[in-house]
Amino acid sequence: MLETLGLMGAGFINALTPINLLMMAAGVALGIIIGCMPGLSAAMGVALMLPLTFTMKAETGLIVLGAIYCGAIFGGSISAILIHTPGTPASAATAIEGYQMTLQGKAGKALFTACYSSFWGGLLSCISLYFFAPLLAQLTLKFRSAEYFWLSIFGLTIIAGVSGKSIVKGLISGALGLLISTIGLDPVTGAKRVMFGQAYFAEGINTTCALIGLFSMSQVFILAEKKIKARAQATKFSDKMSLTRDERKMIRPTILRSWVIGNIIGLLPGAGAAIACFLGYNTSKSFSKHKEQFGKGSIEGVAGSEAANNAVTGGSLIPTLTLGIPGESVTAVLMGGLIIQGLAPGPELFGKYAPMTYTFFAGFVLVQFFMLGIGLLGCRGFAQISRLSDAILIPCVTVLCCVGSYAIHKNILDIVVMMTFGVLGYFMRKLDLNTAAVVLALILGPIGEKGLRNALKSSGGNPAILFSSVVSWVLIALCIVGILSPMFMSKLEKKAEKEATAGTAEDIEKLTEEDSV
Amino acid sequence: MKKFLALILALCMVFALCACGGGGSAKPADGPFAPDGPVTLIVAYKAGSGTDGPARILAQYAEKYIGQTVVVENVDGGSGSIGWSQLAAADPDGMTIGVMNLPNFNSSIVKELGTYTTADFKAICNHVTETSIVIVRADDDRFPDLNTLVEYGKANDGQLKASTNGAQASNHIGAQAFAKSAGFHYIDIPQGGTADQLLSLRNKESDFTVVKLGDISGQESAYKVLGIFATERDARWPEVPTLGELGYYDQWLGASRAIVAPAGVSDEVIQFYEEALKKTMEDPEYIAAAASFDTNFLDHTATAALIEQQQSFAESLGDDFWNY
Repeated sequence: MLETLGLMGAGFINALTPINLLMMAAGVALGIIIGCMPGLSAAMGVALMLPLTFTMKAETGLIVLGAIYCGAIFGGSISAILIHTPGTPASAATAIEGYQMTLQGKAGKALFTACYSSFWGGLLSCISLYFFAPLLAQLTLKFRSAEYFWLSIFGLTIIAGVSGKSIVKGLISGALGLLISTIGLDPVTGAKRVMFGQAYFAEGINTTCALIGLFSMSQVFILAEKKIKARAQATKFSDKMSLTRDERKMIRPTILRSWVIGNIIGLLPGAGAAIACFLGYNTSKSFSKHKEQFGKGSIEGVAGSEAANNAVTGGSLIPTLTLGIPGESVTAVLMGGLIIQGLAPGPELFGKYAPMTYTFFAGFVLVQFFMLGIGLLGCRGFAQISRLSDAILIPCVTVLCCVGSYAIHKNILDIVVMMTFGVLGYFMRKLDLNTAAVVLALILGPIGEKGLRNALKSSGGNPAILFSSVVSWVLIALCIVGILSPMFMSKLEKKAEKEATAGTAEDIEKLTEEDSV
Repeated sequence: MKKFLALILALCMVFALCACGGGGSAKPADGPFAPDGPVTLIVAYKAGSGTDGPARILAQYAEKYIGQTVVVENVDGGSGSIGWSQLAAADPDGMTIGVMNLPNFNSSIVKELGTYTTADFKAICNHVTETSIVIVRADDDRFPDLNTLVEYGKANDGQLKASTNGAQASNHIGAQAFAKSAGFHYIDIPQGGTADQLLSLRNKESDFTVVKLGDISGQESAYKVLGIFATERDARWPEVPTLGELGYYDQWLGASRAIVAPAGVSDEVIQFYEEALKKTMEDPEYIAAAASFDTNFLDHTATAALIEQQQSFAESLGDDFWNY
């Protein structure tokens, strides 16, 4: 144990060389830029930088890649908050509350919250990386097809949480998303489904394209429809960025919960930061003492989502480093980097190559501080974007949406799909349907379908396999809680509201009537 | 102030446009061919994918011999067919070449995902060849060797489970060829990719699986290699028998990645790249960087033959193969 601690300490000393520090700063900055540009993903950034790391020392190379990864996951929140355009699907849930804060002139505060929670999410995830990696890797091995199926069902219960007033409308939106997620080659038989004769649709609708359309393009349509006016004059802009002591205290438990969620999701190959941010967001809402603020710009919502997606980073390194099974494309590239340096994932990384591994871990910890520093420095500047008039924002965001979706595959069809989802999103919003539920279902649908069908396939069609493990039962219990708690809570709230406002309800009604006249 | 911000925003977008632009113009050349601008290497899979990594290493070290920058362009989607369609339609001026994944390329033709055929491409050379292997978990005492696996499979027909990297994808073909030749049935569990496929073996959902040698690189201690889909034993795994030795599938099976150009290019273009890439693959610096995968240079004639052979193999896999 003492020896391990010594190695950990030595790791920090090794990581603190000038070249490593410079590389961390550069990697984080590059990552943030990549992350906030819709269409450019962390995986792309890491893959493009990989050849440059061949010439570096193994640990320096890995630290650069880790820095880009963390930076990009945080960077996605910047555009999500400012222009309702999540830079990556990992920030989709951040857009919900973050953009509301921007509309209220609190963009600076939202960005600060995102940066602060990303920092803590990332930093806390290092704890599990340092101390529990081999143990947590065992959890990765507990998830088979049936467990993935229940995980996706649990994820879908969030629809009830993000639906706002009408759960029925949330369910309609979710069902629509699930339906759209069936487009493409059947994952089990390889049959073509609803592909309109286009090979383009073989891998299904691209989530990022749909996301940009549903969140950003539809926002543009809605803005454009209104009489264009200078927003800077319409809303007050608050220069106050930092959180008060009370606010920090308020989001502390949220960050802790999101850390756990993000870490567990990170452990599961194929799940990823997009699911973690929704789960983190929803959990922050369920536990919040200020539920009324959700949907209207809640700090806790932003913190819940951003802490969770950055906690995925440390978590996802665990199966990569211990089992040699990368959970997503970013960690796959990282593993490629390891192998090229002649290092094999597995126990040796913690034995023979421990000095290198702990230097990388130390670098990963330090990267979080760079992310906080660079993020906070940038926040003030970025926040100014929210002062721009809609007349400037509308064409700019439109261009960003088109360029962003084109950048994914360099395929013009991506822009067509994005625009289609933009129009769809516009009408959905007009009908009070929920665009976030569609995105959620699009992400979770394929995981659930593959999980269910593979589970039944391996059991010869016997559904008992879905109920045959402890993990399954835990997830089922979570599903039940997930479905029932919003209903239960809303009843409680209504009751409380009724009691509180019994006397003034009529007055309010009168007032609103006057308003609408 | 506002104008300044708008300018910054505009600059960001210019940056984004540049990021996805690239490529260069080219003039037709007389005499021996040499590219006069950046060469584009189309990879039909995502940045960071298994195909992308080795292609980027090749591109990086090939620049010395090609004399120009080589830009890897990831055109993914449609199970690779989007990228190959784009390559088939590219200007045959020698400025655009690409990576062709065998047998995925051939499957995409059989599945009618693309409108191209093998005639729309001209082979330059082969880059990587990975041989398939049958593996089980290292700690699975039930199966010390391939014969016990087959006996178990026959005794419990239709009970063994094998994860694959997708329905009818390369490793599914391997598992199917093995089981068919050995005379037992199994349940295939299709996963999204090789990482998930290996996880499905590690978490005991599957009993055995077929992957390529390179897929378990660095992870050899976690798995037991029971057999190799080759006509002779591999020098690095001398103790692993070939499937043919034991009386099962006796052909080579695996995956190759060829470097090809659109069909319209001149022979000079093919000759130029064949030579440049041959030199690249013999470069000690390249060899050091490429240690984790199996570089296998074949000249353009052998590569063309390989593409055709893989095509007729893919076409021969009818219903009697998939539902034997």
